[in-house]
Amino acid sequence: MTSLTRRHALALAAASSTLPHFAIAQSDTRPTITVAVQKVANTNTLNQLREQSNVGERTSGIVTERLIDLDWLNGAKPRPGLASEWRRIDDSTVELSLRPGVICHNGQEFTAEDVAFSFSAEAMFGETTPDAMGRIMPDTGRRIIGVGSKALPPEIPPVARRMFPSLARVDVIDKYTVRFINATPDVTLEGRIAATGAEVFSRKGYQDAASWLDFARKPVGTGPYKVREFNPDNSLILDAHDAYWGGRPPIKTLRFVEVPEVSSRINGLLSGEYQFACDIPPDQIASVESHAGFEIVGGSIYNIRITDFDQTNPILANPKVRMAFAHAIDRKAIIDSLWAGRTTVPKGLQFEYYGDMLINDWTAPEYDPAKSKALLKEAGYKGDVIPYRLLNNYYTNQVATSQVLVEMWNQVGLNVEIGMVENWTQIRDRSHVRGVRDWSAGSAFSDPVGCIVSQFGPNGSAQSALEYKNDELNKLCVDIQTSTDRPARKKMFRRILEIAEREDPAYTVLHQNGAFTAKRRDIAWKAYPSFVMDFRASNWG
Amino acid sequence: MLRYLALRLGRAALTIVLVVTFAFVVLRLSGDPAVIIMSPEAPQAAIEAFRHAWGLDQPIWVQYIDYFSAIAHGELGQSFRDGRPAIDLVAERIPATLWLTIPALCLKLLIGIPAGIHAALHRNSLTDRVVMAGAVAGFTVPSFVLGLMLVLLFSVELGWLPSGGQGSWQAGILPVITLGFGGAGILARFTRSAMLEVLGQPYIRTASAKGVPWARVVRGHALPNAAIPTVTIVGFMVGSLIAGAVVVESVFSWPGVGRLLVVAVSNRDLAVVQCILLLVATTMVVSNLIVDLLYGVLDPRLRGGRS
Repeated sequence: MTSLTRRHALALAAASSTLPHFAIAQSDTRPTITVAVQKVANTNTLNQLREQSNVGERTSGIVTERLIDLDWLNGAKPRPGLASEWRRIDDSTVELSLRPGVICHNGQEFTAEDVAFSFSAEAMFGETTPDAMGRIMPDTGRRIIGVGSKALPPEIPPVARRMFPSLARVDVIDKYTVRFINATPDVTLEGRIAATGAEVFSRKGYQDAASWLDFARKPVGTGPYKVREFNPDNSLILDAHDAYWGGRPPIKTLRFVEVPEVSSRINGLLSGEYQFACDIPPDQIASVESHAGFEIVGGSIYNIRITDFDQTNPILANPKVRMAFAHAIDRKAIIDSLWAGRTTVPKGLQFEYYGDMLINDWTAPEYDPAKSKALLKEAGYKGDVIPYRLLNNYYTNQVATSQVLVEMWNQVGLNVEIGMVENWTQIRDRSHVRGVRDWSAGSAFSDPVGCIVSQFGPNGSAQSALEYKNDELNKLCVDIQTSTDRPARKKMFRRILEIAEREDPAYTVLHQNGAFTAKRRDIAWKAYPSFVMDFRASNWG
Repeated sequence: MLRYLALRLGRAALTIVLVVTFAFVVLRLSGDPAVIIMSPEAPQAAIEAFRHAWGLDQPIWVQYIDYFSAIAHGELGQSFRDGRPAIDLVAERIPATLWLTIPALCLKLLIGIPAGIHAALHRNSLTDRVVMAGAVAGFTVPSFVLGLMLVLLFSVELGWLPSGGQGSWQAGILPVITLGFGGAGILARFTRSAMLEVLGQPYIRTASAKGVPWARVVRGHALPNAAIPTVTIVGFMVGSLIAGAVVVESVFSWPGVGRLLVVAVSNRDLAVVQCILLLVATTMVVSNLIVDLLYGVLDPRLRGGRS
């Protein structure tokens, strides 16, 4: 007869205690996926208002979501998000019906109270007021974010006000209904609600957090994944939020790891440590795809690379010189040689998803060196140096593109000299003469106000940097924001394009920007024409 | 001795002040943290609010005085990016860096010194040539090239080791080898040169002529005298333990002080950069001080010269 010793009994007990865990582990066969990125977040937070970057956009919608979602694979058309439907009450009011039964990461139900709080002074607007369309109201508080402080960082309210300059308040109608009420008429309000930065979150989650920073690093949202751990400048680890309203997430643990070097990201992918490697430059496409089990996905995105002109430069003060720059660029040659033909020339600074606001017959300036030469002759250009301050590949292919551009400009007689600088302060420095510079522009929402108006209008970065000003354009920018007459708005937009791209150019477009992601070929996942990455069940398998 | 120590400490303090001042001026004049951290697309009002909140709208000399008076009160400032004390951010990263640099230092010592001694004792032999070829390769191949080659071989081709990150102890192997190989080459070269110089001295010939066994001549006379240049180099290596792996940390995505420094400089996160510089300067100065004291231990003739 076999005797049962104390050691055996302990061993059996230990073994039996592992059985339930084993069974649980067996039931969840979802994979752990690691995504290698150059940067998780520039500001080391997941708050989109503070982040304001392309890299931050990548995780938008994963942890926190917006009321109105965008259908990226269908022309970025608006589609129900946390709101199942929405309707216009009048020119300045939009009512939204929320999905019932949406559960936040803290287990509480998501309701209209959470929406109202997300758009409150406490969480978003600070001391700013909605009293001037198109004018940004400064925040006056002198405070810094820090451990234990619930105060908003001072830069958040102005950023929020740029997104919602006239939003007066969000009213709770009932548990599942909210009303966004503007101080002025605004036909773009739905677009703003669908834009990055308009993410909503749990009121209780915010109030329970020790500080604003704690919440910004571990927001309690409704997205398909919840934050387990955010290690600044290193990694973001997310767990599946199994109660997600859009279906059980297909990935058990989703890890974003920072790998600054492109070669290290690719090596890690090839060696099997990462399943996705982001921010792959086009010259690496062939190298990655030479390995049978891997592919590159992505292509042109809703973001356009442009060359900005400094109107205050004595030579560039003449619009004919600026147009000579525009006509000297063979955009297709740049796309074919530097982007492997994987992107396109845009129809000016506008996007397909503008819908009925898209000016379909508008085009980028044609490549016509003879026209450039004639314009320079008319302008009396004598070959003086025009400076071109350049960052070292802040944008993909930036340096190579600039070298090609300078050669194209030289071909028509423009004497452009590259000066390498390190950061944006040096790009904008006015102590030396400025000339041309690089820029990229996306549209915050599906309306010209989300791009050309906010970038080159009275509050845009070009005018803030004192590079550009046009009185007619400025007036049109204010009118297009307040008008509710859609045909009239479209006419205004056409006129804005005529001024900003032809008559008194503020910039000239180069090409649609591109974003490429390397991944294992056997993973069925689609890249969007955006920096956003979607790991929901609907985009997996 | 006390006067000597006081003099050395005074020089050390001056060095640190100069390093910090230089970094302050260069960083503050070459970029606006508000624009860099918030992105150039941020509205002007937001940038101004950020500058105001952090006192960046004050004249630079006011900021400089504020900074030094804070240091005098034991405060190294807060990070512009997240408002946490800079010292906390740096302290969090030090263990990760030491996890690489201390084993790498051991590797350098364990490979470099014996290889240099062996090469010197077998001058012009095949072993000497092989060791010196390896040493030259060690310190001429840039660490990012060596690191990527190792990753291609051991991670991509063989699949034996992780290509980066800090997920497991195995992840540290390739960066340690990358760091250690270059340093071992430098040490081997210096040790060999020092040994050859000592082996040519009259007292070595005298000891040999008196019939002292060669092994004892090497151990008792050659090695201690050849140690001084080697100790100097090791001193520099110890001094760079904190931030001596900037490139390797980037190649291997290792979240140490080196990567923090790169990110902090590119963001003009002044307090963090200054905090790291202070640490590096202090480590380097202390390490050199210890080396100076070791000189006296190794060679009694040098004690009088310093006092």
